[in-house]
Amino acid sequence: MLRIGASIAGCLLAASLFVPNTSSAADITLGASVQLTGPLANTGRYYKDAYEFAVDQINEKGGVKVGDQQRKLALKIYDNQSDVNLSVRQYTQLVSQDKVNFLLGPFASNFALADSAISEKYRIPMVQGGGASDQIFSRKFKYIFGTLAPASDYFQSTVEMMTKLKPEPKNVALLYADDAFDVSVAEGTRPLLKKAGLTIALDERYTSNATDFNSLLSRIRSANIDAVLVAGHETEILNFVRQAQSLSVSPKMYSFTVGVPSADFRKALGDDANFAFGMTAWLPSASLKDKWFGDAEQFAKAYKVKYGYEPDYHAASAAADVEAFAQAIEEAGSIDPQKVRDALAKLNFESLYGTIAFAEDGQIHLPQTVIQIQGDEVVPVYGKQGFIKQPKYPMPAWNERQTTGTGK
Amino acid sequence: MSLLAQVLLNGVLLGGLYAIMALGLALVWGVLNIVNLAHGAFIMLGGYLAWYLFTGLGIDPFLGLPITAVAMFALGYLVQRLLLNLIVRAPMFNTLLITFGIEVVITYVAQLAFSADFRTINPSYAGNNVSLGPVIIPEVRLMAFGAAILLTFGMWIFLLKTRLGRAIRATAQNLVAARLYGVEPRHLYATTFGIGIGLAGMAGSLYGAVSQINPYIGAALTAKCFAISIIGGLDNPLGVIVGGIVLGVIESLALLYVGATFGDVASFCVLVAVLIIRPSGLLGRTA
Repeated sequence: MLRIGASIAGCLLAASLFVPNTSSAADITLGASVQLTGPLANTGRYYKDAYEFAVDQINEKGGVKVGDQQRKLALKIYDNQSDVNLSVRQYTQLVSQDKVNFLLGPFASNFALADSAISEKYRIPMVQGGGASDQIFSRKFKYIFGTLAPASDYFQSTVEMMTKLKPEPKNVALLYADDAFDVSVAEGTRPLLKKAGLTIALDERYTSNATDFNSLLSRIRSANIDAVLVAGHETEILNFVRQAQSLSVSPKMYSFTVGVPSADFRKALGDDANFAFGMTAWLPSASLKDKWFGDAEQFAKAYKVKYGYEPDYHAASAAADVEAFAQAIEEAGSIDPQKVRDALAKLNFESLYGTIAFAEDGQIHLPQTVIQIQGDEVVPVYGKQGFIKQPKYPMPAWNERQTTGTGK
Repeated sequence: MSLLAQVLLNGVLLGGLYAIMALGLALVWGVLNIVNLAHGAFIMLGGYLAWYLFTGLGIDPFLGLPITAVAMFALGYLVQRLLLNLIVRAPMFNTLLITFGIEVVITYVAQLAFSADFRTINPSYAGNNVSLGPVIIPEVRLMAFGAAILLTFGMWIFLLKTRLGRAIRATAQNLVAARLYGVEPRHLYATTFGIGIGLAGMAGSLYGAVSQINPYIGAALTAKCFAISIIGGLDNPLGVIVGGIVLGVIESLALLYVGATFGDVASFCVLVAVLIIRPSGLLGRTA
């Protein structure tokens, strides 16, 4: 008798744990699989932090208006451990088992390339802010949108600036890692260099995660190359700069697709990061007005207070993804995936990230501003309207730099 | 011509770094027959320890080598005594499994403890170099090469001439006879493993000064150390120097003449060639 009573009580207790979340109207869930551990985690975590930050802010301002209901946003994030295959499985799970409403993207082009196959298959729109490769958008998929400007355009403003530098660089080395993003960058940069009349003296593809650039650097030195453009990952570029220093290779300028805007890259290199050029499609400027955050400057300040580091364009891009959904859902007046997808395709609004509007293929187009590290600060030097500030060019030889020998 | 000279020099210096990374693995494998899949993870830990010594206490990575060595020796001793001794006479598969598990645990604990950010050890002389005619020699790599030669010769002399070294070799050759001579195997195995890990720790310190450290470098480093140990031969500690330099030079030449994506291809081709032509390694005894 006691046994039956106990087991009934046990069942009731267990059942009580399954009481669904009581909320006024069901939350709209955004699902994502992000690199929280593994080699890409140091950038992947920007996406998780920024998604959370944006969702919290939007909810605080009242949530999203669907028809005549105010609904809150919710997030479901999985850690894909920097493994592409796992991320694909996790997106499948988000859609088929967790039944999220919409999808946010991972970091990195090769992940976005694979994961967007899921959003296309299940016809759930995905807005991703981590993949810029043109390959993602050349498949004529209807359900993938991207807030990173095309990879092939990354060096455009840099090449334009190079034609205006005195003395003009005569020959250029183009180095790129062998993955979706960097190959796209190289493919786009070659015609730009040709059109600008610059000779490509070295055009080399190297293994992703390469640690040894000594041979490439020796070739750069012996060919007296003026400008070096590197499309790679932060860890590779870090090795490149350190080995350039140890081999006394200092071309007139070098520019990198990643690393320069990120605080931890500059911290790892200390003074050695100076003079490096990079690019960013986003700067935390007060002129970028935003419905939920006020403007980009306020966004950056509040972000730094909450997370302890300054947001770079990855974080801004991730926040823009959440805002794109919020705006599209309101404009569609529904959470039907097809209607929201159509609303996303027609979006055109101002945000902390700039103008969010997707082209026919789903990718945003934003001009890149050329930035340079000067005295440990990131300084915008060249934009749409020409020079913003004079860049420090040409780069002095390594032993002529005034270093404080800091061991940062 | 000077480009070739520079690349050859790069290869030789790289070889020195490789040698010191592989020395610990070769010792433990050759003598104890323990295939330590976690070797790279211990190198990573040594790197982090050196980083904390450098940024926290201002201790130069080269001068701090003895501290790193002792600390990592203690860690290795404990790991062997408490964990690996359980499977020391079990089938090889168990060794692989347990060291693989250790590798995973160390990597993820490191990621939790240190975050995924990469760190560099940047002493003030990190970028310095000396010129020898048209060729430039980076100082840190030269010093790492010097350290590698010293440690390898030191290890060779240790195994050949000292009492403990002879005890280690005796235990590897014939455990029963060694016990009859008063060797306590558990302590001896742990000491040997400790030495291997101490060497890994020192390699990590040098690696951090030359490249950068993050929690995930372990697996790739272990693979490379394997290749070097096999190419050089496990019978003789000097084998890692030969293996390291051969590998470093061939990789650098491949990167120069074949293409920048062919570094790893070249390394593993050399490995396969050595296994076919001279399976006991370049310096190993032919059967």
